[in-house]
Amino acid sequence: MDIGRNSQGFTLLVGLLFAFLLAPVLFVFPISFSNDPFLAFPPQSWGFKYFAALPRNAVLMSAFRTSLALAATVTALSLALAVPAAYALVRLDFRGRDWLMSLFTAPLLLPSIVLGLAILLVFVRVDLLATYPGLVIAHLVVTLPYALRVIATALGTLPPAIEDAAATLGAPPFTVFRRVTLPMMMPGIVAASALSFLVSFDEVVISLFIVGPKLSTFPVEMFRYVETRTDPLIAAASVILIVATIGIVLVLERSIGVARALGKASQP
Amino acid sequence: MMTSLIDRDMPTIAPAHDPRPDHLVLEGLEKRYDKVVAVAALDLAVRQGEFIALLGPSGCGKTTTLRMTAGLVPASAGRIVIGGRDVTHLPPYRRDIGLVFQNYALFPHMTVAENVAFGLEMRKVPKADIGKRVAEALALVRLAQYGERRPRELSGGQQQRVALARALVIRPSILLLDEPLSNLDAKLREEMRTEIREIQRRLGITTLFVTHDQVEALSMCDRIAVMQAGELVQLGTPFEIYERPRRAFIADFVGRSNKLDGIVREAGVIEVGPLTLRATETPARGTEVRISVRPHRIHIHPHPGSARPHARTNLLVGRVVRTTYVGDVFQYDVDVGPGVMQVEKPTAAGPQPISRGDEVELEWSVVDTLVFEDRP
Ligand SMILES: Nc1ncnc2c1ncn2[C@@H]1O[C@H](COP(=O)(O)OP(=O)(O)OP(=O)(O)O)[C@@H](O)[C@H]1O
Ligand SMILES: [Mg+2]
Repeated sequence: MDIGRNSQGFTLLVGLLFAFLLAPVLFVFPISFSNDPFLAFPPQSWGFKYFAALPRNAVLMSAFRTSLALAATVTALSLALAVPAAYALVRLDFRGRDWLMSLFTAPLLLPSIVLGLAILLVFVRVDLLATYPGLVIAHLVVTLPYALRVIATALGTLPPAIEDAAATLGAPPFTVFRRVTLPMMMPGIVAASALSFLVSFDEVVISLFIVGPKLSTFPVEMFRYVETRTDPLIAAASVILIVATIGIVLVLERSIGVARALGKASQP
Repeated sequence: MMTSLIDRDMPTIAPAHDPRPDHLVLEGLEKRYDKVVAVAALDLAVRQGEFIALLGPSGCGKTTTLRMTAGLVPASAGRIVIGGRDVTHLPPYRRDIGLVFQNYALFPHMTVAENVAFGLEMRKVPKADIGKRVAEALALVRLAQYGERRPRELSGGQQQRVALARALVIRPSILLLDEPLSNLDAKLREEMRTEIREIQRRLGITTLFVTHDQVEALSMCDRIAVMQAGELVQLGTPFEIYERPRRAFIADFVGRSNKLDGIVREAGVIEVGPLTLRATETPARGTEVRISVRPHRIHIHPHPGSARPHARTNLLVGRVVRTTYVGDVFQYDVDVGPGVMQVEKPTAAGPQPISRGDEVELEWSVVDTLVFEDRP
């Protein structure tokens, strides 16, 4: 069968794929405006009952605050580590450079469940289970490869001649980095931040291994909630998350262009 | 016309002694990448205020030489001396060199004025002076009104001038230019040539100018350093390089030339197949040589037999196989037996006396027969 890029068959196929991927998400919206005491589609009564109930759920709210703080910390640390690492990997010429790059981005290829189990085994020994630092480290394992990839790509598309020009004009290496390299990498850094934040905030599989009774994350608590209760509260929470995520992506798209930040476009 | 052709002798080409001291000296400069030798034992002395072109085909090591001079790549061997000071091991930011890159390499996130101010800020020039000097530099390159623009809002020629202003504003002791005109269209390139030369003269700044365009090198520079495969093969005035190239490669690369291969039969006489040609100087008898003659130095006579043989000219009979009208000149390809020679003649209005298939006679002075022992 010929699936040309512009053929109608292709358009139809893409449309079906999108529908398939998005259908579950779209179901969540009507359900979140249900006033029923159970999950049903279509809802029998409509309203904002569960949106109003959300702030009164202490467990979910506490987990939400934990997740926000966690995502912010993880994002800051990801950047602090990924920026220098990407610089070294892209700009410095040393043996084993490609090998290191592969190593650092390898976690992207591992199933989360495997990572989670591995982290659990290590954390049991070093007493990091159910601690905030433990969660931060576990999330970094996942976000760092993303951040590194995005920033390395952004750096790779910068023509080195611009940094050379700064050097010949009298700028020592660190000044070159601060005044020239860093500002030009900004789109990549913004994209890496957004990605790290979303990945951390969204992370559930690895977190499940690490959280404890006193310290839990929002996705984990959502997961636990639906295990025991079947009211539409969780749909209301999901809608808020979806809207917030789309908001962040739109702001990014507007300010720098996500595609460009991910390294699709050429030089400025 | 005839007499001028015969009597024309080699003009004296020894330049008057240049009293200026050497300012930039490259000594045995070398760059190796694993097995590749990018630049091999290069010796070059640029005098104070002199404008030298590094000319050579792609990949001959011009950029590498420039980058070593600027300190952007370390030299594998040799020394770099600027104004008597050995800078071989200094980092680029302490060499006091202005460099204009082939693609300008302007800072995209800064305005034109900020770009130009950058080098002054690095030198801790007081704020008030920076504003003044940036304005002066922009005026120098005729961009006074463009300070607030971003580089991407400028044309190629304007960006090129910003790059020049940015390199000049720091008053560097040496100016290095890496093919700064290669991205411009022909018209703009010609304007910028004069402009750069003018500014360079006015500021008296020692300049090394990389190009692979022979017209640029010939028209702009005091001297030309011709490079081939990492080596400096000839250093001389444009006149010397064009009139007395030391290798067939240079004759071929700088300007156009007709090539014929032959053997020296006796002093001043070369056998090219059935033809016998004369030259002023030849290597030992029996040497295999390449002869080169510039197309515009050959006179073409429509009727064979009209020119009289003379000891100081070469005379050949041939048949026109192609004529090309190029506006200001006519090019004739003439088959002379062992090869086809191209001849150029300025065009004139009115009927053309020579057409394809005609038998013609070619004549050129013996001084225009360049003889080389290398056959690239
Ligand atoms: N980083 C490098 N690693 C390996 N080889 C290199 C490197 N840089 C340059 N070379 C080689 O050194 C030689 C000279 O390169 P260079 O850039 O100096 O040439 P160029 O004369 O400036 O050519 P062009 O006119 O095309 O700019 C080339 O053969 C090139 O392949
Ligand atoms: Mg080059």
